[in-house]
Amino acid sequence: MVDSLAHVPGGHLLNGRGLLYGLVALVAGGILAFATLQPVKVMPRVRLAPGFLLVDQDGQRLTSEDLRGQIVLYSFLYTRCHSPDCDYIIETLRTVQDRLAEMDLGDTPVTLITISFDPERDTPDVLRAYAQSVGADPQRWRFATGDPKRLKYIIGGGFEVYYKANEDGTFTFDPTFILVDGWGIIRAEYRYQTLVPDTERILRHIGVVLKEVRNSKGAARFAYEAAHLFLCYAH
Amino acid sequence: MSRLRRWGVLLGAFLVVGLVGWWGLPRLRPHVFHGMVMQSPERAPDFTLTDHTGRSVSLHDFRGKLVLLYFGYTFCPDVCPTTMAELAKAMDLLGKKADQVQVIMISVDPARDTPEKLAEYVTHFHPSFLGLTGTPDEIAQIAALYGIFYEKQEGTEATGYLVNHTATVTVIDRKGYVRLIFPFGTSAEAIADDLAYLLR
Repeated sequence: MVDSLAHVPGGHLLNGRGLLYGLVALVAGGILAFATLQPVKVMPRVRLAPGFLLVDQDGQRLTSEDLRGQIVLYSFLYTRCHSPDCDYIIETLRTVQDRLAEMDLGDTPVTLITISFDPERDTPDVLRAYAQSVGADPQRWRFATGDPKRLKYIIGGGFEVYYKANEDGTFTFDPTFILVDGWGIIRAEYRYQTLVPDTERILRHIGVVLKEVRNSKGAARFAYEAAHLFLCYAH
Repeated sequence: MSRLRRWGVLLGAFLVVGLVGWWGLPRLRPHVFHGMVMQSPERAPDFTLTDHTGRSVSLHDFRGKLVLLYFGYTFCPDVCPTTMAELAKAMDLLGKKADQVQVIMISVDPARDTPEKLAEYVTHFHPSFLGLTGTPDEIAQIAALYGIFYEKQEGTEATGYLVNHTATVTVIDRKGYVRLIFPFGTSAEAIADDLAYLLR
């Protein structure tokens, strides 16, 4: 067999250099295939979400440490807001809440947290009444606020969401949703409208993060880390 | 070519490929980090605090080195000494490369952690370690930005109050980007392995 192969054109492939090239080509091809076909999609690990201590609508402490291991969608508003922006935020969160109820989330809790940057007026009682009025499921969707100065560090500094109190009691702010994983790492930010509605993107991204949490164990972790390395990002 | 020679060439080829594969494949394989890898598109938030010698230092002073950022306090009974000891051991494991690593502990208890106390504490673990402190407000702001939560908690009469705090170690790379997060309990070997890779 070897005899006959060595005489046909291409038989030189059997020498050491040929085999080495073949091996290198195989590895390079594999990497290229992984990077282009992207069999595993991930969400980038953008930056650290801020650490915080807040008070929720029931007057309970809510810290960033309590939320470790949970996927959290953060949003920011003040309850006396009646602008289309606020209607949009609430409508989006309500849809996400309802759709999550129908999804198989496995063991990973997915929580919505809306932080008010108007702690003076948005006391826990006010937040609770507001939560009920917008149809928030207390098991899934919590409202919180905190010390005004710390809120600036958390919302303005950590989440990089701009807000400013106006003289007439309203606030100027940029409507934003932020998706954070169980490690406290920001995985997606929704600051601008795109052709794909925010609800669809948010739900799809929650699905991608859930899948990573579920699958990146053992050998599959390697594939997930490679996906981060080769920027196989979900859109 | 004689039949024998051809077999020899083939055997040699297999040996070469085998050796190259044995040596090269583990090197071709991308490094799998022990810590959580970040892909921050923006630099780590800069800050300026006072170090344990009373000097004013900023994060950007350490550009070109790997910075390991830890938030703790000198009265910390268990978590901080464990982490600091592991970080010191990781420095030893790195050998000469440790010159390119700066460990910084930012105090979450500025009321009790004077520069003198910090100096005594951090250098006890490693001569190169830096302890930083500032006003409660400055520290609250920096901690929030690095995902650190902390709060005072009642202790015993012997210990005084305690400070509960997030116990992760944040690695900022030589260009100033957050690259890795080590959870509490990461071993010195794992930390040294990741740092050596970042310093390759």
